Amino acid sequence: MLDMDGTKPIYIQVAEWLENEILNGQFNENEKVHSQYTLADMFNINPATAAKGLNKLHDDCVLYNKRGLGKFVSEGAKEIILEKRKNETLKGLIQDVVIEANQLGVDENELLLMMKESLEAFKEDEK
Amino acid sequence: MNVVEINNLSKVYQRNKALDKLSLTIKTNTITGVIGRNGAGKTTLLKLIAGYLKESTGEINVFSKRPFNNLIVSSQSVFIDDNMYFPESLTLEELLIEGERFYENWDKAFAKALFDYFSFDPRAIHDHLSKGRQSTFNMIFGLSTRAPLTIFDEPTTGMDVSVRKDFYRVLLKDYLAYPRTILLSSHHLDEIEHLLENVLLIDQGRHLLHLPIDDLKEYAVGMTGEKTKVEELIQGKQIIYKENTDSNMMFVVMKRNIDPQVLKQVGISVKPIRPSDLCVYLTKDSKGGIDDALKYE
Repeated sequence: MLDMDGTKPIYIQVAEWLENEILNGQFNENEKVHSQYTLADMFNINPATAAKGLNKLHDDCVLYNKRGLGKFVSEGAKEIILEKRKNETLKGLIQDVVIEANQLGVDENELLLMMKESLEAFKEDEK
Repeated sequence: MNVVEINNLSKVYQRNKALDKLSLTIKTNTITGVIGRNGAGKTTLLKLIAGYLKESTGEINVFSKRPFNNLIVSSQSVFIDDNMYFPESLTLEELLIEGERFYENWDKAFAKALFDYFSFDPRAIHDHLSKGRQSTFNMIFGLSTRAPLTIFDEPTTGMDVSVRKDFYRVLLKDYLAYPRTILLSSHHLDEIEHLLENVLLIDQGRHLLHLPIDDLKEYAVGMTGEKTKVEELIQGKQIIYKENTDSNMMFVVMKRNIDPQVLKQVGISVKPIRPSDLCVYLTKDSKGGIDDALKYE
């Protein structure tokens, strides 16, 4: 489930896994999420690493704390996650594409055309 | 709260300095990986903490007491390695009974469950077991003590892959259920990094790094690119490792403090450095690698 050899820190992967669970409706607003100990057991990781993943989501306002009870899904968590992914992940990917295109000498029109083709191919597959 | 507090600790054997003015603390209820090359001083450090060895100079406190020959420290800690000596006159079953007598938190049911799971014969003699089976028994003994300070020095010597996996799993599960302070030394950081909260890297008796594993993962980056470009970039910066990959390409490892987007734009590829590789780079001799030691034409 987690990519241990990967380059992405484990706590980030734990945070992303929880985000996906929230997006999929496995955890609803104001519902309690797994504790650091449950996550540590599930993913076979140190509980401090699991806690770091939970704290990241708390810092991002996806989760909130109830003292002594654990962490719960914030209202509007889905929107926060989607917005965050758009701004961080998608923008980063696009930036990589732009840099690569620049190195290969692909100009603006050609790049936009490639994007369009890719979008259309995706729409075809969806049907 | 700290279980272990070490200040300016040195240990000298004859003329050989095994530990050289080491200072560190170990927090209660954490799992720390003690990493280093052969002869780095890992075992000496762990044996000083367990009270098996006497320090030469400096200060060492375990549970706020000097550990050497201290019965309180002994009863609160266990030291497991592959040279563990058990009396030959006792069977494995009797050894577990003695463990129960000495350690106040000993879990008999847990010991029995693992003993059966790994199919040990209660009447067997420790000394007659193979290396891997001895290590497996030692592990069962060490975990069953539930000692507030549990020290494993290269615990998996001789164990096959599946037993090693079982060991790491049961270590984590038992730690989750019964938190305690665990020190685990290994050559194989890769195998244990998921278990760890902190990593202590020692080299030539000194401590190089002591950080949370998550920070170690993000500590350094490796950069490959044209020699001239890379050299320009690293000027005045501290380099962990440097290698010419061919006549005009260069690979360097350095602390992560450059924006990767900037590097990509000048055609330098950047990759993260895994903690185990970072430890290798950090403890490499300045002599160069094995290729430089041997000259093949």
